[in-house]
Amino acid sequence: MADRSASYADAVAAVARAEGNLDLVADELFRVARALEGSDELRMTLSDRQIPAARRQQIVEDLLGGHASDTTTAMVSMIVAAGRSSDLAGIAQEAVEINARDRGRSVAEVRSAVALTEDQAERLAAALSAATGHRVDIKVIVDPSVMGGVVATIGDEVIDGSVRHRLSQLRDNF
Amino acid sequence: MSKRLWAAAAVVVAAVALSASAASAVGETVGSCIFDEVTVVEELVTVDFDEIKTLKATIESEDASDASKEEREAAKREREAAKEAKEEIVNKYETGLEGCVEAPNPIIPEPTEIIWGGAAFVVLLALMKWKLFPVVKNLMEQRTQRIQDAIDDADRQRAEAAEVKADYEAELADAKAEAARIVDEAREQAATVRADLQARAEADIAEMRERAAADVEASKRQAIADLQSEVSDIALGAAEAVIGRSLEDPEMQRQLVDDYIARVGADQG
Repeated sequence: MADRSASYADAVAAVARAEGNLDLVADELFRVARALEGSDELRMTLSDRQIPAARRQQIVEDLLGGHASDTTTAMVSMIVAAGRSSDLAGIAQEAVEINARDRGRSVAEVRSAVALTEDQAERLAAALSAATGHRVDIKVIVDPSVMGGVVATIGDEVIDGSVRHRLSQLRDNF
Repeated sequence: MSKRLWAAAAVVVAAVALSASAASAVGETVGSCIFDEVTVVEELVTVDFDEIKTLKATIESEDASDASKEEREAAKREREAAKEAKEEIVNKYETGLEGCVEAPNPIIPEPTEIIWGGAAFVVLLALMKWKLFPVVKNLMEQRTQRIQDAIDDADRQRAEAAEVKADYEAELADAKAEAARIVDEAREQAATVRADLQARAEADIAEMRERAAADVEASKRQAIADLQSEVSDIALGAAEAVIGRSLEDPEMQRQLVDDYIARVGADQG
């Protein structure tokens, strides 16, 4: 599964490098994956093999047309047509990490109950870079279950400063 | 068997018949003896009378003739010889009659009787030996064999009875020993079972006590935990309600993110 996602990510990264917009494609692919996670109906529609591949590709193009680059749209359309839309999140994560490695950076997945301002994002990236010792790019995911605060995941390391985590600790202490 | 008996009876009848004929053959009476003697004497006398008549005529013819002295002497000698022969006949007749009237010996039988009797005995003995003795011998042997078989059978039955009795007594002894052993084992098992039951009952009682105590303790802990959980739920619910209302404030959210950034930066520093 992971190998397959990595292969697809390598293919996407190769196409994006050829087009010279790997940074943009990785970011857009990450956003598309997050959007797919937030919509069960869309995820089930794109994963339904009873629907012809052309129809599913048409849905992707209708959704992304004008909102994402042509490369990103083509890559997502290709993944959906191959019946791998359920692997799209993993593929996007691999693509982001490939892009970060190409730039000598790490990727931090940041979950917050509210969207971060640019200033907060820059300060958080700087703080995480200082904490890990190497430059970190952050990918922010708005997750209301966090309730408040931030959960940052860099590789296997998790820095949880969310209200949800503190309430859980409080419940355990009781 | 019946044929042999009939043959034996025939042999006996034949022997009796032979004995009877032999006896009749040797049974000569006094009258018949005298009659035989008289007959012989009559024949002799008849002969003599003829000779006497002949001689008388000869003498008369001599007297009448003129015979010589030598011739007369010869005639005289002939007359004397005839007279001696006549006396001899008389003496023989008298001896024969005496023999007839003489009483027979009561002990010693007549020779002819001995001969006939002996022959009959021999014949009878041969017939008996030929026919009767084998039959009788066979009968005796069969009877002896039957008796011996009966004795052997009785001995065998007695031996079997004794063996059965011995077996029965042995089995009875074994049964008694087995019964005694079973009774002993039953007593031992009863004692063991009683001891086991008692020990098990005591163990069960102790275990039930421990379990009851553990259950009480567990119930106590569970009650405390439930109480604590309920208290914590209530407290957390209240806290979440308060925090939830606070988190609805964007400034609070911004402050929380800033605090996180500051803490991450402070941790590395």
